[in-house]
Amino acid sequence: MTSTIQRRRIEVLADEPLIAAIVRLANNAGITHYTLMPTIGGAGAHGRWRDDQLSGATAKVMLVAITSTEHAAAFVDLLAPLLESHHLMLLLSDVEVVRGVKFD
Amino acid sequence: MALDALLQPVVLFFLLGALAAFARSDLAIPEAVAKGISLYLMMSIGLRGGGEVAETGFTHDMALAGGAGLALSLLLPLPAFWLLRTAGRLDRTNAAAVAAHYGSVSVVTFATGSEILRQAGMAPAGYMVGVLALMETPAIITGLLLARAGGTDSLAPRGGLLHETFLNGSVILLLGSFLIGMIDGKDGLVSIAPVFDSLFRGMLCIFLLDMGLIAARRLMDRRALTLRTVALALALPLLNGSLGVVLGMELGLDAGSSAALGILAGSASYIAVPAVMRLALPAADPGLYLGMSLAVTFPFNLTLGIAYYAWLATHLWPLIRT
Repeated sequence: MTSTIQRRRIEVLADEPLIAAIVRLANNAGITHYTLMPTIGGAGAHGRWRDDQLSGATAKVMLVAITSTEHAAAFVDLLAPLLESHHLMLLLSDVEVVRGVKFD
Repeated sequence: MALDALLQPVVLFFLLGALAAFARSDLAIPEAVAKGISLYLMMSIGLRGGGEVAETGFTHDMALAGGAGLALSLLLPLPAFWLLRTAGRLDRTNAAAVAAHYGSVSVVTFATGSEILRQAGMAPAGYMVGVLALMETPAIITGLLLARAGGTDSLAPRGGLLHETFLNGSVILLLGSFLIGMIDGKDGLVSIAPVFDSLFRGMLCIFLLDMGLIAARRLMDRRALTLRTVALALALPLLNGSLGVVLGMELGLDAGSSAALGILAGSASYIAVPAVMRLALPAADPGLYLGMSLAVTFPFNLTLGIAYYAWLATHLWPLIRT
């Protein structure tokens, strides 16, 4: 049976103009592997939103990263103070991965 | 003139898009297509303006119009900020973000206005495209300074903000196409005219259909808008646009170019500025500044504002020239 190892999955939903800065924070926390995913639309505390390639101001992008508990905790510490002011959504969960060394 | 402007295909397609959205139709232009057409429009506007300047050469009027455009973009956010703080009852950050939008310009309002002026025999001078490009960014600086006076918590490094402000795609494409038009001249552009000239109005119609859908849907999601902010989104273009027309006339520009300066001053950005403000002033509400500029001011300018600026320029011309 293939062995697995536990890692932390981080998901951040943010407006597209903010993503470069959030990736920089992730790098500062030691997270260098991540995926950015476009979104179509949705609704939240600040109303409905949809993909907006015209200005890009309100288009939302999802950053997904799988990392170690330590790196995840460091990233949460950096991002938590910005969640309210920057209208961000942060999700954390435990995942099982194969080849754990790829997700440090 | 007002009725003529309303019955132009470009305006009617905008209204069609808005009606479809209000009726909750599933009509949609793919985002990538709309983005592509917006780039096409900027290239076409830049090339045409540059081609015309290549024919006329650098003139005194061109320098005056450029200076006026820069000054308007830098200074218009100041009274707008004051009005938004007092009459609009907005906090400093939101007022600064919105004020920056009203100092900057809307490329599509300018493109539509130029077409309407051309149809009315008041074609603006080609150099007004250069003025359009000059007016894109100074207002962003003023808006950021107004907000910074109160302190902000931007995630963006200073270098990143400057990069985003001065090298944003629309400025690069407009100025670059304008320069290419100037280098090649009208004769040199003949070979690409079937794409960038003949198709222009049709492309503008498709784009405005999409803008009608976007503006109406944003108006329907108007959580951030109040009666006060809607009233200001109607008053600011009238005040700024009138100032632009009068300034153009006083500087000795022709009636068409003065009307175009009024259209630029009266328009509000919804492409370049929102992206910078989202990065620089994350606490400002994008629903507010996009709602005001895109859902209220843009439709107002398209349906009534452009005709008013043209009317003002036409009626001021004999008064100021005598």
